Amino acid sequence: MTRDDMEQGKKLKKRRYYDYTLLFLVLTLTCFGLVMIYSVSYYNANKYYSDPTLFLRKQAIFAVAGTILMVIISKFDYRLYISRMPVIKIKPIFLLYLLCMALQLYLVLFGESTGGSQRWINLGPLGKFQPSEITKICVLLFTAYLVKLAPRRLDKFRGFLRIMLIMSPLIVLVTLENLSTGIITVVIVVAICFVASRKKGYYIFCALLFVAFIAVFIILFPYRSERIDVWRDIENHPKGYQILQGLYAIASGGLFGKGLGQGVQKLGYIPEAHNDMIFSVICEELGMVGAFAVLFLFLLLLWRIFLIAINAPDLFGSLVATGVLAHVAVQVLINVSVVTNTIPSTGIPLPFISYGGTSLLVLMIEMGMVLSISNRIEGER
Amino acid sequence: MNHFLTYQKRGLMLIVAAVAVGMLVIGGRLAYFMIFVTDRYAQRAQELHERERSIKAARGLIYDRNGVVIADNKPVCTISVIHNQITNPEEVIAKLSEILELPEETVRKRVEKYSSIERIRANVPKETADEIRNLGLDGVMVDEDYKRFYPFESLASKVLGFTGSDNQGIVGLEVEYDDYLQGTPGTILTLTTAHGLELPNAAENRIEPVDGNHLHTSLDVVIQQYAEQAAQKVYTAKEANRVSVIVMNPQNGEIYAMVNVPEFNLNEPYTLIPEVLNGVSQDSLTEQEISDLRNKMWRNPCINDTYEPGSAFKIVTATAALEEGVVRLTDRFFCPGYKIVEDRSIRCHKVGGHGSEDFRQGIMNSCNPVFMEIGARIGAERFLYYFDKLGLKSKTGVDLPGEAGSIMHKLENIKAVELATMSFGQSFQITPLQLMRAASAAVNGGTLVTPHFGVSIENAEGKTIKTLEYKTEADAVSAQTSQTMRELLEAVVAEGTGKRAYVAGFHIGGKTATSEKLPRRSGRYIASFLGFAPANDPQVMILVMIDEPTGIYYGGTIAAPVAGEIFENILPYLGICADYSEAELKDNKQLGETEVPSVVGKTLKEAKVIFRSCSEGELYVIGEGEIVKEQFPAAGEHVNKNSDLILYLE
Repeated sequence: MTRDDMEQGKKLKKRRYYDYTLLFLVLTLTCFGLVMIYSVSYYNANKYYSDPTLFLRKQAIFAVAGTILMVIISKFDYRLYISRMPVIKIKPIFLLYLLCMALQLYLVLFGESTGGSQRWINLGPLGKFQPSEITKICVLLFTAYLVKLAPRRLDKFRGFLRIMLIMSPLIVLVTLENLSTGIITVVIVVAICFVASRKKGYYIFCALLFVAFIAVFIILFPYRSERIDVWRDIENHPKGYQILQGLYAIASGGLFGKGLGQGVQKLGYIPEAHNDMIFSVICEELGMVGAFAVLFLFLLLLWRIFLIAINAPDLFGSLVATGVLAHVAVQVLINVSVVTNTIPSTGIPLPFISYGGTSLLVLMIEMGMVLSISNRIEGER
Repeated sequence: MNHFLTYQKRGLMLIVAAVAVGMLVIGGRLAYFMIFVTDRYAQRAQELHERERSIKAARGLIYDRNGVVIADNKPVCTISVIHNQITNPEEVIAKLSEILELPEETVRKRVEKYSSIERIRANVPKETADEIRNLGLDGVMVDEDYKRFYPFESLASKVLGFTGSDNQGIVGLEVEYDDYLQGTPGTILTLTTAHGLELPNAAENRIEPVDGNHLHTSLDVVIQQYAEQAAQKVYTAKEANRVSVIVMNPQNGEIYAMVNVPEFNLNEPYTLIPEVLNGVSQDSLTEQEISDLRNKMWRNPCINDTYEPGSAFKIVTATAALEEGVVRLTDRFFCPGYKIVEDRSIRCHKVGGHGSEDFRQGIMNSCNPVFMEIGARIGAERFLYYFDKLGLKSKTGVDLPGEAGSIMHKLENIKAVELATMSFGQSFQITPLQLMRAASAAVNGGTLVTPHFGVSIENAEGKTIKTLEYKTEADAVSAQTSQTMRELLEAVVAEGTGKRAYVAGFHIGGKTATSEKLPRRSGRYIASFLGFAPANDPQVMILVMIDEPTGIYYGGTIAAPVAGEIFENILPYLGICADYSEAELKDNKQLGETEVPSVVGKTLKEAKVIFRSCSEGELYVIGEGEIVKEQFPAAGEHVNKNSDLILYLE
């Protein structure tokens, strides 16, 4: 090997990878989401605000901001999150953890009440801010960080418990405020631990524990158990209206749908159709073909994240990518399950597509992190 | 360079696999909804989106026997408001209340009511509706619609009946043939938003209305009008309570006219006519009283009410006696002016009595003792048998709602007195139409017919879809008896009590009646006359009933002339030609026909002489000169003797 050869080899080795496919998928889903939001919301936006593009414009602002944020984050080394900052000598991950604790505590104590639970912090002109979305990132990064510190500890159940214990304050605070987000965070933590540990056996025990946890929760909070009744008798229960209308929309779609913008159920029949129920309108307008295409896009997206996870340059990167994968996957699965009344209703938006600024921003940040990990993969071409 | 360990990769693979499985499950769920329950759920969604607007079907028309429309439709409009589409409620309220002449409060309540569509006013004339349409108010809807319209207004009002606002018949033929006339309303199904707004581009799902079928009746506007005129005249002259006239074909039961004066205006059926109000102001009446008066006004006494037929019923008694063979025309009777039946004396209408008379004279004189005698000969049981056989026990089956049945003694209650009174038409009640039906059977050769109006049903395209058929019973009376009855009844008109119904040139048979209303001795009578013509082959039968006339109340005096007048008008109209007897021609020189003489080329003087010798008409001369150049009618034509002749001079 000559020096030149060595140099060339080094250059080759050091050529950085960037997952444009993932970027493309994210942008596709986001743009598709904007189109659907306009299709779904123009009628109600016009009726109640005399401004058909109101929701579209709001979401578009977040989409643009999110895209910029995603690209910037993707260009920073993700390992910065767990290295000490230059001046204050604290790792950013701890700051994030503290911030989230503070925000969640604030919500529990002073939160603005909407519909029985406190989920929002009003930022005045910037709109409402949902801290639980940030908490998802925090939980994801912090768990990955903890596992990365001592991966072998997870081989024993105590190691898993230790991590759960460290994460529990945040998880409990989030769950108090919003069950759905609580479930998501738990899934993220468990997914990361599951992937990292050598022994998988005790996860079965954990799964049982999880079921018990939900059962206890349902008994303790009758407001939630009513959702079970609704789920069981969707056609007759008075509170099943929204889901039932969603089912009507899905069923009206048939194989090829009524055509983009031609749906009727969004015209006041499905309340808040642009939020969590948007998938039902996609079904109505684009049919089974469109709905499967959307699910396929998500599957592709997850596959790209999977590839990045297994090729990440270090364990922390792999685990962060795993967490993001789990996050996106669980949201898609739960959202579509709720819309099809496969599970009891719970308010989880469809990633990238449902209306909601904070949710979109947080997903974009996570994608930025995954892209940043992909950017650290050193190609061998 | 790759720090991910194998078991970690496997773990992640497991997660991805789990997600893929999850996707498959929800994909299956989606397929379940979008393929397997799509019909059920999509159907429900469709029903949820659809708003139904009904399109009225045009009600079928009613025609008389000559195809004259007697119940028509005319376009009117319905004004409604759609709450969600109103942009300026105050303007809508102000304009609508002003144009429709409704109290502002009423309109306000309907405009402000939160409903998908609210009707403000129906039956708005087209001009008013156009005015509203031209205002272009948002949320105000003008729907065109039909309203029943009766071109002859009060003609046969109690027979035709009228319809309510929902196109359903309320009384008369409109009720009886409602199922045919109504048609099936159509619907427009439109897609709407959850707030009731119609989607502009949605395809309309339209179910066309099926227009109602037309009804062809046996009524004849001309005969009905003649009869109404005659009835109105006697109604006014005799200050009667009511005058009813039925004109029927005794051969097949087709009713040509059914008059019940006073008639009401079918285009305003809820307005009480002055005759019913009797000088009382409608405002002073309670709701109940108004409702009762309306029902009274709409009532058709020819079929809804029963009465004691009186002497006209002697047709039935005579028929029964002849059938039973208990009397011959030559049987002699003696009428002292009364007849003792059991413990009481029942009077004849002629106080002095008719003296000695045969059966034929008995009928001509309408002598009660004669009929009491033959009634007794028939006997109660056989009497009831013929009563039933001539259709008096059952309803006539006429195609009008609410027909009354007869009220008759039970056999075990009929003693000599009852039998005696029954035989001249008292102590039981039948409807006028039942009497006509029985009389028809007695004179038409013995067939019991079903009186009716409906002839055929024709669909909206003008194709006859159903010819209405009615029950007839042959041999209710033997042909021989029927023949005898015709002769007897012709004699009644020709020489007996019915002579005021006589019309020169026609053979008319008939029977008069004067029934005292219950309670007796109240001075209230029904004068009636039942006649038919031609007597040898009855084509038309008329029943005239004058209810509570003032002054003279004898049927032969006041009802028979009404029938005569109607006969005189309608017999030629029905194509029954006058056939004058020698005696008639001699009595009246104007009657009969003559051949127009030729006077062309003659001088005016000569022409006058020739014309006078053979004609009773006037001679008109046009032009100046001495010689007749032309004449009209031409020579040799057969004309009535009283026809005029026009001469054109050089």
